[in-house]
Amino acid sequence: MKAKLTLLAVAALLVSSAPAYSHHSFSAEYDANKPITVTGVVKKVEWQNPHIWFYVEVKDENGKLTTWGFSGGPPGMLARRGITRDVLKVGDTVKVEGFRAKDGSNNGSGGNVTFADGRKVFAGSAEDVVPR
Amino acid sequence: MSRVILLAIFAIIPRVSQGQAIPRAPDGKPNFTGVWAGPGFTHRVGPGDTDTPRVTTYDPAKMSPFKPGGDAFMNRRSTGDSTKDDPTAGCLPNGLTRQILSPYAQQWIQTPTQIVVLYEYMHFFRVIPTDGRTHPKDVELTWMGDSVGKWEGDTLVIDTIGLKEWMFDATHDSKPDQLRIHSDQIHVVERLRFVDPTTASYQVTIDDPKIFTASWSQDFEMKLHPTWKILEFVCEENNRCMFGKCSKSDVQ
Repeated sequence: MKAKLTLLAVAALLVSSAPAYSHHSFSAEYDANKPITVTGVVKKVEWQNPHIWFYVEVKDENGKLTTWGFSGGPPGMLARRGITRDVLKVGDTVKVEGFRAKDGSNNGSGGNVTFADGRKVFAGSAEDVVPR
Repeated sequence: MSRVILLAIFAIIPRVSQGQAIPRAPDGKPNFTGVWAGPGFTHRVGPGDTDTPRVTTYDPAKMSPFKPGGDAFMNRRSTGDSTKDDPTAGCLPNGLTRQILSPYAQQWIQTPTQIVVLYEYMHFFRVIPTDGRTHPKDVELTWMGDSVGKWEGDTLVIDTIGLKEWMFDATHDSKPDQLRIHSDQIHVVERLRFVDPTTASYQVTIDDPKIFTASWSQDFEMKLHPTWKILEFVCEENNRCMFGKCSKSDVQ
């Protein structure tokens, strides 16, 4: 029960807080004209500088699996907002709304992350264009 | 009798308003030692001593009029090449003017003769003598420049010259097609003063004679966070998709 409340508190903080900062501008690496939304299972989390990265395995209607990589805020900046590394776990089902990498690869800025239970988390950077 | 009470009150008020409770060093100077959230935070302290970083830029409304050619020099169109438009994406430095607004923590260490500022962002540091020395005559241009400090009463004044021509701030975060550049003639003066025991006013004065007709100032604040430690930030650790080009290893 305590853990559940803590999780809810963290989720509330994530949603209510302004996004964190990155070490460079959004436009250096992502295309604000290419919004993307994928739903899948978290396969890997890299809670490292200069940005966290997390990878989501997405299954299409034919059962084909594709992995998308998303960057978020720097670990330290997330920590200043009370967001710790245990927020995103391997095996979580998430919907990620973000923006595609400028080179068109299956990578993007993290934008919004919504968990299967409806919790909405923002893991991106202040420079990121936040989907509304 | 009432006159005595009034005098007693007036005797107390100045001590309080002068910030008797602000941290002071053994030499009586205000003591900036501690870990601070700089101008790049909202300073709304939440549970667990949290604060919220935000992109902060210099306000064009505060700036002085341009000299002929100053507008074109400072306000540049982005080229589409991130190595030129935002070299920090490749882990190059912010430079002082952008670093001042950096929404990462910073630790100040004050001694009677110098102040050291350790910036969490990319491990940058400044060593600022406060022993009365002035700038050297032949200053080598660097990203953080040459800084000297002095006290004007309870106000710490930091004077910096010797900065490379570099990014002014992170304005291209709100205007992706634009960036701002300052010249190597820029002269930066920072004035810091406690306004309460955990808040310092932080005024930045910019004089760039290649761009502006006169100097101009903008006021910010810093917030002391007693529970914070500066964290490790190794930009090269996992800088995937650098400059917008994802390598094979970035595509999992």
